[in-house]
Amino acid sequence: MLRLVVAVFVLQLLSSAAAIFFLRSEMVDVVRADREDQVIDVREDLLAAFYEGGRAALAGYIRDQRGSAADPGVIIALAHGGGPAVLSNIDYVPRVGVQPRPAPVLLRLAPGAAPIETLALASQLPDGSTLTVALAGASERRLNLAFAAAIGLTIVVAVAMALLSAVLLGLAISRRTHEIAEAAEQLAAGNFGMRLVEADSGDGFDHLRLQMNLMAERIASLVAELGAVSGALAHDLRSPVTRLSAAIDTALARVDEPQAIEALQAARADADGLRAMLETALEISRLEGGAVQDRRVPLDLADVAGDMAELYEPLAEQSGVTLTLDLASAPVRADRELVSRALANCIDNALKYGGTAITVRTRADPAEAVLLVEDDGAGIRPEDRARVVERFVRLDNARTRPGGGLGLAMVDAVARLHGGHLALGDAPTGGLAVSLHLPR
Amino acid sequence: MVPRDSLLERDRRVAGRILLVEDDPQIADYIARGFGEEGFTVDRAANGRDGLFLATDSQFDVVVLDRMLPGMDGVSVLKALRAAEVETPVIMLSALGSTDDRVAGLTAGADDYLGKPFSFAELHARVQALMRRGTGRAKVQDTVLRCADLELDRLTRQVKRGPRKITLQPREFRLLEYMLLHQGEVVTRTMLLEAVWDYHFDPGTNVIDVHISRLRRKIDDGEAQALFHTVRGAGYRMAAD
Repeated sequence: MLRLVVAVFVLQLLSSAAAIFFLRSEMVDVVRADREDQVIDVREDLLAAFYEGGRAALAGYIRDQRGSAADPGVIIALAHGGGPAVLSNIDYVPRVGVQPRPAPVLLRLAPGAAPIETLALASQLPDGSTLTVALAGASERRLNLAFAAAIGLTIVVAVAMALLSAVLLGLAISRRTHEIAEAAEQLAAGNFGMRLVEADSGDGFDHLRLQMNLMAERIASLVAELGAVSGALAHDLRSPVTRLSAAIDTALARVDEPQAIEALQAARADADGLRAMLETALEISRLEGGAVQDRRVPLDLADVAGDMAELYEPLAEQSGVTLTLDLASAPVRADRELVSRALANCIDNALKYGGTAITVRTRADPAEAVLLVEDDGAGIRPEDRARVVERFVRLDNARTRPGGGLGLAMVDAVARLHGGHLALGDAPTGGLAVSLHLPR
Repeated sequence: MVPRDSLLERDRRVAGRILLVEDDPQIADYIARGFGEEGFTVDRAANGRDGLFLATDSQFDVVVLDRMLPGMDGVSVLKALRAAEVETPVIMLSALGSTDDRVAGLTAGADDYLGKPFSFAELHARVQALMRRGTGRAKVQDTVLRCADLELDRLTRQVKRGPRKITLQPREFRLLEYMLLHQGEVVTRTMLLEAVWDYHFDPGTNVIDVHISRLRRKIDDGEAQALFHTVRGAGYRMAAD
């Protein structure tokens, strides 16, 4: 960004400098040609006088030029052999070589005076005298000085303007880029309904906005498709499970034999387990696809943990497990139902695989709110921790117990839907510590 | 299998009239048979348009409406019904059990929402609850709820069984209040979880059973008459009988 601004700035500076130099050389050429023409014009007038009235007429003409009425910048000298020279605005006969075109020459206006810059032209008259015409004035040097001043001023102004425009340009680019990056962020967070305002100025940013919107539309339609597919899948798979449960219920209502009832109840429990697994798997797919409505509200994780602990406390007590709370206020924007469900999974796991003590903690720092469930069971070996978060992965000690291996996958999906993450670690008591980190 | 006619012969009392809109014939059969055995009259429609026509044309106590139907889906049927000012209680059935779908169904005007697969007992309990909502014995605005000699004062938050004062945790109080408001009806675990805890997912383990048995000990232990009854495969019922 800074490099772009600097490059724009330097280019602008170079272009204004080049323009000034071009202007200067053109001006110098024009002014010089003008002055040369002026010198030649004066000489032509003098020659006309000479050819009309001879040397005397010319001398008279020159004398008329002398004095305050005359142009002080025009210097004329007529010298003839040893005779007295006729001079205007000068007390000194200049030595200027005879040339066809005027040339810059340094002349003294009086003996001992400081020389001044002139443009001089010397001509040989037919009677042998020398006519010198000069135009005083350090035109080129003055022009150079003027241009130097102009360049200085231009540079100052150009620096300011270039700096200003570079900064404005930089800000404009930055603003547009941020706007588009924010849109991309929204997309990443699952808000597929976001659209950038399109203009048809045809510049790169509009093109980018248009493409972003097309991309968002495509993603939205894909997600909708995913929702439709998982809905259809749910319909296709759940209806048979419903019929299965229905058949079991019908049979249960018809039989009286205790063994048959027991067998049917076991089948019913398995059907329920199948249903729950199917539902959770579909829910995880939906969460991971971001195909869920944003139902985040400001809530305190401490309240969620308190409510859930209250729900599980009698079960824990019945199972001989102590459920301890260590809650610090942890306000965050979250989906209450999903976070509660994730916490229920963690507590359920701890009840199944933990020891005799479960601690639920909440805490917050400026960056994140954390929900932590610790148990004093056998824990999970570090090398297995990444694996257990995957769907349908069950460690050896869990295979003999009910469950579908979806609990932690669900917690992970909930964490990621909120832009957070799930971490597995060691509890101080030696068991597993499951923590749900949600950004604030 | 006992034929439906002979069941009706056995109990002529009509428990209620139900409109069932469901396209899966096996599930429709199962639900219709279940309600038939419970003494309900069941009218059936296999698609949304027929369902809407029947629901606007005749009087039903409850409409059981599937969410996914050929032609016109359940939510559209429900919106059309409510737009036509048909206020019959509607319970929506859906294979889409997620929170989003439930909220969509309830927003469209459903009175209850049940994810598939469900047990008939769950559906029956909820239909009963919807039917009794208007004519229930215990009214929502009653300040003192009673069942036999059990008394719950909703203002002073005091609970007494005969002369015995019973101390309850706040959640136990709400649980008992809900049971008393629905006394005589079967309440299922999911109904309790939704009404008392406001959770709409199944925690899977028997968390609710433990809450109930704890409350039941406080209410019924040492009493001659049990007020809590377990209904096999369905849930619980609070009643003086």
